[in-house]
Amino acid sequence: MNETLVDRNNITLRDRLKNMVASFGLPRLIIAGFLLLLFIAAPFVGADFWTQISNTVNRFSWNAIMVLAMVPMIHSGCGLNFGLPLGIISGLLGATLSIEFGFTGPLSFVMAILIATPFALVLGAAYGWLLNKIKGGEMMIATYVGFSSVSFMCMMWLLLPYHSPTMVWGFAGKGLRTTISLEGFYDKVLANFLQINIGNLSIPTGTLLFFALLAWLMWAFLHTKTGTAMTAVGSNPTFARAAGVNVDRMRLLSVVMSTWLAAIGILVYEQGFGFIQLYMAPFYMALPAVSAILIGGASVNKASIANVIIGTFLFQGIVTMTPTVMNSAIHMDMSEVIRVVASQGMILYALTRKTEGTK
Amino acid sequence: MDNASKTRRLLFRLGTVLILIGICAVMMIVGRGHTVYFDNKQLEYNGTTCECPYKIKVLVKDEQVANLKAKERGMATTIGQNFAMTLKITQEKGGDEVVETYQLKLPYNMDGIVVNLPAYLEGLPEEAWMSEFVPIATESTAEDEEVPGGDEFEMEDLGDF
Amino acid sequence: MNNKSFGKKVLGFVQDNTVPLMFIVICAICIPLSGFSASYLINEIVTRMGRNIFLILCLLIPIMAGMGLNFGMTLGAMAGEIALILVSDWQIWGIPGVVLAMILSIPISVLLGYFCGKILNMAKGREMITSYIISYFMNGIYQLIVLYMMGPIIPIKHSSIKLPRGYGVRNTVSLLNMRQCLDNLLAVRVGGVKIPVLTFLIIGVLCIFIIWFRRTKLGQDMRAVGQDMNVARDAGIKVERTRIISMIMSTVLAGFGMVIYLQNMGNIATYSSHSQIGMFCIAALLVGGASVDRASIGNVFLGVILFHTMFIVAPKAGAAITGDSMIGEYFRVFASYGVVTISLIMYETKKRKNKSLVGQQLAQAQKEEEAQNNG
Repeated sequence: MNETLVDRNNITLRDRLKNMVASFGLPRLIIAGFLLLLFIAAPFVGADFWTQISNTVNRFSWNAIMVLAMVPMIHSGCGLNFGLPLGIISGLLGATLSIEFGFTGPLSFVMAILIATPFALVLGAAYGWLLNKIKGGEMMIATYVGFSSVSFMCMMWLLLPYHSPTMVWGFAGKGLRTTISLEGFYDKVLANFLQINIGNLSIPTGTLLFFALLAWLMWAFLHTKTGTAMTAVGSNPTFARAAGVNVDRMRLLSVVMSTWLAAIGILVYEQGFGFIQLYMAPFYMALPAVSAILIGGASVNKASIANVIIGTFLFQGIVTMTPTVMNSAIHMDMSEVIRVVASQGMILYALTRKTEGTK
Repeated sequence: MDNASKTRRLLFRLGTVLILIGICAVMMIVGRGHTVYFDNKQLEYNGTTCECPYKIKVLVKDEQVANLKAKERGMATTIGQNFAMTLKITQEKGGDEVVETYQLKLPYNMDGIVVNLPAYLEGLPEEAWMSEFVPIATESTAEDEEVPGGDEFEMEDLGDF
Repeated sequence: MNNKSFGKKVLGFVQDNTVPLMFIVICAICIPLSGFSASYLINEIVTRMGRNIFLILCLLIPIMAGMGLNFGMTLGAMAGEIALILVSDWQIWGIPGVVLAMILSIPISVLLGYFCGKILNMAKGREMITSYIISYFMNGIYQLIVLYMMGPIIPIKHSSIKLPRGYGVRNTVSLLNMRQCLDNLLAVRVGGVKIPVLTFLIIGVLCIFIIWFRRTKLGQDMRAVGQDMNVARDAGIKVERTRIISMIMSTVLAGFGMVIYLQNMGNIATYSSHSQIGMFCIAALLVGGASVDRASIGNVFLGVILFHTMFIVAPKAGAAITGDSMIGEYFRVFASYGVVTISLIMYETKKRKNKSLVGQQLAQAQKEEEAQNNG
C-alpha cells in the first residue's frame, strides 16, 4: 500500500519534471545553462564581469527590434520570417537616401525612418500578397525572396545615381561603398541618449527605451480587436474565417508590420554599430533573428514579447561571451562553431516540433 | 522473408563492404605518390668516394625529367612503390652515352626521396644513397591563414563555380 | 478552330517552360555581348558539364520520393571534402586517390544522410526549409571537425594541409596530384574542344542506374510515397524507411559528385567549396525546367548547359552593358536566386490550384448526386 503510494509519487514527480523540460524545450535549457556557465566562468578566466554585461546589453539593444519583427508573422500563422532581408533593404534605402539628401546628426535618423517607411510598406504589401498566394510554403519562399532581393539590390547599389561623397567610391565617383561610416550622421544617436556609465558598466538607455516603446506598441496592438483577430488567424484559420475575419487581409497586415519593423530594426542596429553595411551584408541577417526568438521560447506559430526579450538576451549573450571566455579558458576560439551549431540547432528543433495550425 | 534469404542478404552486404575495404587497401598501396629527387653529387661512404659523372639524363616513362651535370638535382613524381628509371650517363665530356634501366623499390612512408645517383651506381647499400627529403617549412604563410569566423553569418566569396 | 488550339498549345508550352525559355532569352542576349568565341564557350560548357552533372543528378532521387529539392546535398559535399582532405594527407595520388576518396566518403555520407532523413521525417510538409537549415547546422559541425579536430584527434601529417598553429586545416588544400586525372584519362579532343570521356561515361552509368532504379521495387515505392504518403502507407510501404533511404542515396551520390567536382577544380576551398554548391546545383536543375515535384535527366542536362552559359557570359556581358564587371557577377547570383524563387512560387501556386480544383470537382459531384436524389 505504502509502496505504491511512493511509486505513484515518484512517477508524478518525474512526469512533472519531464513535462517541465518538454514545455521549456531541452535545447533551450541547454543554451540557457550554457550561458549561465559562461557568466560564472567569466570572472575566473579574467574577463571583467561588468564589461561582459555591457557588451551583452549593447548587442541586445542593436538586435532586439529585428527579433521583434518576427512576432506579427508568427501570430498570423505565416511562420518564421526568413524574408527579413526585404525589410532590411527598405531600411538601407532609407538610410542611404537620408544621407544622400544631406541630412546630418539626429535629424538624419528621423529622416531615415521616414524615408524607409514607404519602401517598407510597399515592399511589405507586395511580399504579403505573394505569401497569401502560396499559403503552406511560406518559409522556403520567404528565404528565397530575401535572397533574391538582396542580390537584386547588390546591382542597384552600384547603379542607382547616388552622389554623396561620403558614400560612393572615391575613385569612380559612383557606386556605393560596402561599408559607410555614420560619423556625423546618426552614429549612436539613441545609445548616447541618457546613457548610464558606472565604472565598466555602460547602458544605452535611449536604444533600450526605443525598443521598449516599440515592444509596448506591439503588445498593445496584439490586445486590440485587430490584434486578437490576427492571433485567431494564426491559431485557427477556419474558425477565424467563420467568425468573419478576413484571413488574407490579416496576414497581409502582419507581413507589412514585420517588414516595417525590420526596416526600423536595421536602422537601430546601424546607429549602434556605427556603420551602414551594404551588398551581401543583409544576406544572412534573418537567421540570427529567427534563432533568437526561438531560443526565447517561441515556436513556429506562437510568440510573445517576453520570448523576444529573453531570446535576444540569451542569443546575444552567447555571441558576446563565448569568444572572450573560450579564448582565455582554452586558448581556442570556438565561438563561431558554437554559435552556428546552437542557433541552427534551435531552428531545426523548432521546425521538427509538431504544431497545430500551420503545416 | 524467410531465414535463408535473410542470411543471404546479410552475407551479400558483408561481402560488399569487404570488397570495398579491399579496394581501399589496394588503392592505398597502388596510389601512394612519391616525389623522387635525383642528386648528381659526390658522396663519401665508409671510405669509398663516389665520383660523379659529367652528365646524367634521367628518363621516367620515356620522358626526360632531368638533365644533371655535377652537383645538380632533379626531380620526378611517381605513383606506387615500384619506380623504374632510365639513366643516360656520360662519364667524360664528349664521351659516349651509356643507357641503363634501373628498378627501385621506394619506401612507403617517405613522401620525398633523395637518390644519390653516383652512390647508387657504385652499388653501395641502400642507406648510403637513399635519404628522406625534408621540406623546409616556409614561414611566409602565416598571414594568409585567416580562418573563417568574424562577424555574423558571412557570405563566403561568390567565386567561380 | 485549328488555329485556336494551336495557339493554346503554344501558350501552354510557354507556361510550362517559362524558366528555361527565360534563360534561353538571357543567353541569346548575353552571348553576343560577351564577345567570347564559340570554341571557348563550348570548351567551358563541356568542362562544366563534366564537373557538375553528377552532383545535380543526386537531386533527382529525393524529388522522386516527394521530398522536394534536397538542400541537404551539401552534407554529401562535406563528406566528399573530408574524404579528399584525408586522401591528400595520405598522399594517395591520381585515379587511386579519387577512388579511395569516393569509398571513404560513403560511410560519412550514409551517416549524414541517415541523420538528415530522420530529421526530415519529423518535419513532413516542410522538408525543404528543414533540409536547408540542416545544411547550415552541419556546416557548423563540419567546421568543428575540420578546424579543431583535424590535427589532435584525426591525424594530419603534412604542414601543407595543417594550419601552422598545429590543428585545423588550411583555407585551401591543393589537389595538384589528382587534378583532372579523371578528365584527362581517355580525353578526346574534337576541334579544340577537350571532351572528358571517362567523366561522361561515369555520368552515363549514373543515368542508367537512375533509370533502372525507377523500375525497381524500391524505386516504385519511392514514387508511391512521393505521390501520396497516406496511400503508400495503406499499401504497406514503410514510408519513413523509404524516405530515409532516398536521403541516404542522394547524400552518397552527392559525395561522389563532390569528389568529381573537386578533382576537376584542382583544389579544395576548405570552408566554402560546399556552401554554395547546393544552391547552384538546385538553380541549374530548375533552369532546365524541373519543378519541385518533377525532374528528369533531360532537365539536368539542359539546365547545366543553360545555367552555365549564363554563368560564363554574365560578367562580360554586364561589363559591356554597364561598364562595370561587378554588375554581371551580381546579376548571375541574382539570376540563380531568382530562378529558385520563381520555381518555388510556381510550384506552390500550382499545388493550391490543384487542391481547389479537386475541391470544386468534389462539390460538383456532390451537387449532381443531390440533384439525382431529388429527382
